Amino acid sequence: MDILNALLHGFALAITPANLVWCLVGCALGTAVGVLPGIGPAVAVAMLLPITAKVDVTASMIFFAGIYYGAMYGGSTTSILLNTPGETASMVTAMEGNKMAKSGRAGAALATAAIGSFVAGTIATVIVTLFAPYVADFAVKLGPPEYFLLMMLAFTTVSAVLGKSTLRGMTALFVGLAMGCVGLDQISGQGRYTGGVPELLDGIEIVLVAVGLFAVAEVLYAVLFEGRVVETENKLSRVHMTKRDWRRSVPAWLRGTAIGVPFGCIPAGGTEIPTFLSYASEKKLVKDPQDKAEFGTKGAIEGVAGPEAANNATVTAALIPLLTLGIPTSNTTAILLGAFQNYGIQPGPQLFTTSAALVWALIASLYIGNVMLLVLNLPMVGLWVKLLKIPKPQLYAGILIFATVGAYGMRQSAFDLFLLYGIGVLGVLMRRFDFPTAPVVVGMILGPLAEAQLRNAVSIGEGSAAVFVQRPMSIALIVIIVAVLVLPRLAKRMSQRKALQPA
Amino acid sequence: MSNNSEFASLEPPAPPASALPQTLVGLGVLLTGLALAWGAIGISSEAGYGGVGPNFLPWLVSVALTICGAWILWEARTGGFRELEAPSGDKAYWPGFVWVSAGLLLNAALITTLGFILSCTLCYLLAVQGLRRANGQAAANSPRTWIVDIVTGLVISAPVYWMFTKFLAINLPGLTNSGWL
Repeated sequence: MDILNALLHGFALAITPANLVWCLVGCALGTAVGVLPGIGPAVAVAMLLPITAKVDVTASMIFFAGIYYGAMYGGSTTSILLNTPGETASMVTAMEGNKMAKSGRAGAALATAAIGSFVAGTIATVIVTLFAPYVADFAVKLGPPEYFLLMMLAFTTVSAVLGKSTLRGMTALFVGLAMGCVGLDQISGQGRYTGGVPELLDGIEIVLVAVGLFAVAEVLYAVLFEGRVVETENKLSRVHMTKRDWRRSVPAWLRGTAIGVPFGCIPAGGTEIPTFLSYASEKKLVKDPQDKAEFGTKGAIEGVAGPEAANNATVTAALIPLLTLGIPTSNTTAILLGAFQNYGIQPGPQLFTTSAALVWALIASLYIGNVMLLVLNLPMVGLWVKLLKIPKPQLYAGILIFATVGAYGMRQSAFDLFLLYGIGVLGVLMRRFDFPTAPVVVGMILGPLAEAQLRNAVSIGEGSAAVFVQRPMSIALIVIIVAVLVLPRLAKRMSQRKALQPA
Repeated sequence: MSNNSEFASLEPPAPPASALPQTLVGLGVLLTGLALAWGAIGISSEAGYGGVGPNFLPWLVSVALTICGAWILWEARTGGFRELEAPSGDKAYWPGFVWVSAGLLLNAALITTLGFILSCTLCYLLAVQGLRRANGQAAANSPRTWIVDIVTGLVISAPVYWMFTKFLAINLPGLTNSGWL
């Protein structure tokens, strides 16, 4: 019952008035950020990273977790009511959710999304509570070679598996790694790629890259290419689910959770795959012909319930690799890792012993946050919908003010604002030519860590790279990396061959 | 379907309209790779106990980026990027880009002299004007809109400034030392 005890201690810490306020503000802000187009949880956390200089670590982690979580709830509101998804995670929700809203069932879609997010989030938090300590116990046994390979696995999945073009994914990853190289080498203390600019000796702040790539690039892209895009908004109906809706939603929530959790645990990154898998399986499993006919026409509630649950389950479970291994699997978790680093804390197996109070308060706050978000998103959904009325020009120009706070507040350097603009332009190019951005952020954060692990691993092997094939765990990881690279391609080729054969 | 594509592949593919920008992207990546390699020459290979020195990752990155750049260039020259998702939006509206860029760059240049509030208001003003024009709003240039935009900019940046400096104790530059402007 160690875990229960630890969790209760966590609750005791999370439930202090100050921390509850941080949690509430985080959840509300996260919901707003999720609802608003053009700004996602990664940017919001990045812009607020400067607060790590003053705010206590537990409070700010609870706050950031609230934003991270809230954005998932808010995102579904936008994707159901607006024809453009607020964040990529709700792309799948938009497919059926939009159709439901068009046929006057926006309220039911919003309800199933919010309750589904709550169910999945809570189940996934229970799983985090039960399993994270064991994963941490196990992870203590891993040495630098295994860590290095785990990071390689994260690199491989984020650049080669997600997204369509492996070439462009790899390019983005190496751009991120190059950015991570800038500054003092952490082992020898030598400056790299500083070009004589003293500001660059400290390296490029992750805030700049995240805010530049996501916020500034978004604004520049919007003014360049999307000025005249007209959005239509669906009408909000009463947020209510009928008995029949419940009967159809509950199994979809549970299946979505079951699909989402494993995807969050493995360093495979992203919510695209689990949400899409959940959508596909709901579509396949539906029996009633009447319900089946709703898919793609009037909008089927399963198609909202399943992916939304999968989304939240993935996002919550992604905290397991982040907290126990220190390996982020998405943009937002990468930035959360940056937040820990600002406090001089390196997430990893030791976190559960050295910062037990912090970890358990964070986990406890997830339970509390889920309840808060359910309240914020069901009875109060009408309030958030009003945010969609903010005209685009004012909204986007306003985002730039917050971007300035984040970029300048980090280390009070006007040089950073120029750099921010440059990274924004890079982001526009990347988006225009369909380069994924997640590999840049993950590469930049994990690059220096992976390099250090590599160098430690090779020193352990007394200068020989054979150390990677002499340990059972590292061999297993190499096999997994190869499988991740080869299997999808093989499957694709097989299905292509099948498609070419005459029926 | 398959017959059709086989037939098409017999004829020389017409160069797509996007060939030039894509070629430039490829060249950009290639040159970045080469520039990084040039920079890597100056980094010591002092490996210590590790056997892997501080110049290992830079070299790896520069070689990989050079290869990626060459590959992208090849794709661009042979029918365009593979598996490219069509980008959203219309034709580029460059005047809008200039407005927003001016806002951001002036903000960077002036923030330490004008202070956060005024500099950000200027940034907001220029950006919102650019976005209004991109949106095709005829009223963008009317004095009334200008005044509304200036006031909105102030109304956003002043509370942000106070919130971050007073409550969160983040250092942001002011025009005066009063802490309020």
